[in-house]
Amino acid sequence: MTGRVIVITSGKGGVGKTTTNANIGTALARAGKKVVMIDTDLGLRNLDLLLGLENRIVYTIVDVVEERCKLKQALVKDKKNPNLCLLAAAQTRDKSAVTQEQLKDICEQLKEDYDFILVDCPAGIEQGFQNAVAGASEAIVVTTPEMSAVRDADRIIGLLEAKEEIKSYRLLINRVRPNLVKTNDMMSVDDVVEILSAKLIGIIPEDTGIITSTNKGEPIVNDEKSLAGRAYKNVAQRILGEEVPYLDLEAETSMVTKVKKFFAGLIGKEKQ
Amino acid sequence: MDLFTDIYNKVIGFFRKTDAEETSKDTACNRLRVVLMQDRTNLNPQLLERMRSELIDLLSKYVEMDKEALELNFEQEGEQMALMLSIPVLRAKSEEDIEKALKESDEKASEEDEENSDEESEEKPKKRKSKKSEDSEISEETEESKEEETNSEEETEQETEEKTEE
Repeated sequence: MTGRVIVITSGKGGVGKTTTNANIGTALARAGKKVVMIDTDLGLRNLDLLLGLENRIVYTIVDVVEERCKLKQALVKDKKNPNLCLLAAAQTRDKSAVTQEQLKDICEQLKEDYDFILVDCPAGIEQGFQNAVAGASEAIVVTTPEMSAVRDADRIIGLLEAKEEIKSYRLLINRVRPNLVKTNDMMSVDDVVEILSAKLIGIIPEDTGIITSTNKGEPIVNDEKSLAGRAYKNVAQRILGEEVPYLDLEAETSMVTKVKKFFAGLIGKEKQ
Repeated sequence: MDLFTDIYNKVIGFFRKTDAEETSKDTACNRLRVVLMQDRTNLNPQLLERMRSELIDLLSKYVEMDKEALELNFEQEGEQMALMLSIPVLRAKSEEDIEKALKESDEKASEEDEENSDEESEEKPKKRKSKKSEDSEISEETEESKEEETNSEEETEQETEEKTEE
């Protein structure tokens, strides 16, 4: 088996890299693929929290590199999905604890047993970014329709284009607020795509469900009803090469649809 | 002929103002485009300002223009990046004035050549590089503003309007 190594990066912090990683990983695993997620944010690990795996971590990527354990021992299996596992970052070390070569080597080893290796990249363009990108051949650039995030995404795209190993990159626009776009108070997806002149892979609406799902340590993609969850599932399908139309966010979030859903929910409850 | 162009400009200006009040989204897009061009080209505001003032020096030999309102901006047209120069032309210079200005600058240049030939040779390639791709744009824009027919910059429109009121 030769797995695909995809780095999920953004430049700016707080735009939803880790959330994206957790959800795409979970969706791919639900689609029957063997997936491993690597958290390379040494010192600031969070992927374990989003997956609800924080209490199961015994070994981290630094333990693997420093040969305190075998690679397989350090992989933490997901609670629900046996196809999914996590290689956690060390919380007590800094970015210099793992080198580019070591990360490349880990990715090469994992490629043999897994379909997808998703690398969660730290914010910034320094060593942490360089390390995370080292083993990958594809990239997903996460941004939001905000000026600072788009600017940083542009910088990241410039750096990715300069890297020979990265064969393709695609843009994921997160936290879109259709109501604000409609009133021309937020840049639209088209605006961002045009400004960055990059290919799109997903549009994720702002969804309060993300907050509650993070609270529970369960990726929102497990919730089939949630809009953001469905959007993430679509992203996973596009990664698998399927052509999936983008959700019509404006229609989905309009008042009429909300009311309809509310009543549908009531009827559903009565039947139970 | 002049009358027609004035009317044309006024009508266009009227429609532009009413249907396109700039939204905060537009502001964001425009600001982003400018800042990304700076990021991508390594042309910081200081360099752009310098380019602007050099262009003013050059162009004012040939036309009398509103130096304050001269605008120099990057714009993106699809894949292609363009340097757009909008010059509000106040009036044409007489032939004599043009020749006089050219002579002055020739004299100045030869003086400078003698004074610091080292510095010149260092700077020249840089200048060429940054101007190279935009040469055609600039010439197009100047022609446009000379004719005062089609000009996308709002400020220039206002300029022409003011002029007619005078």
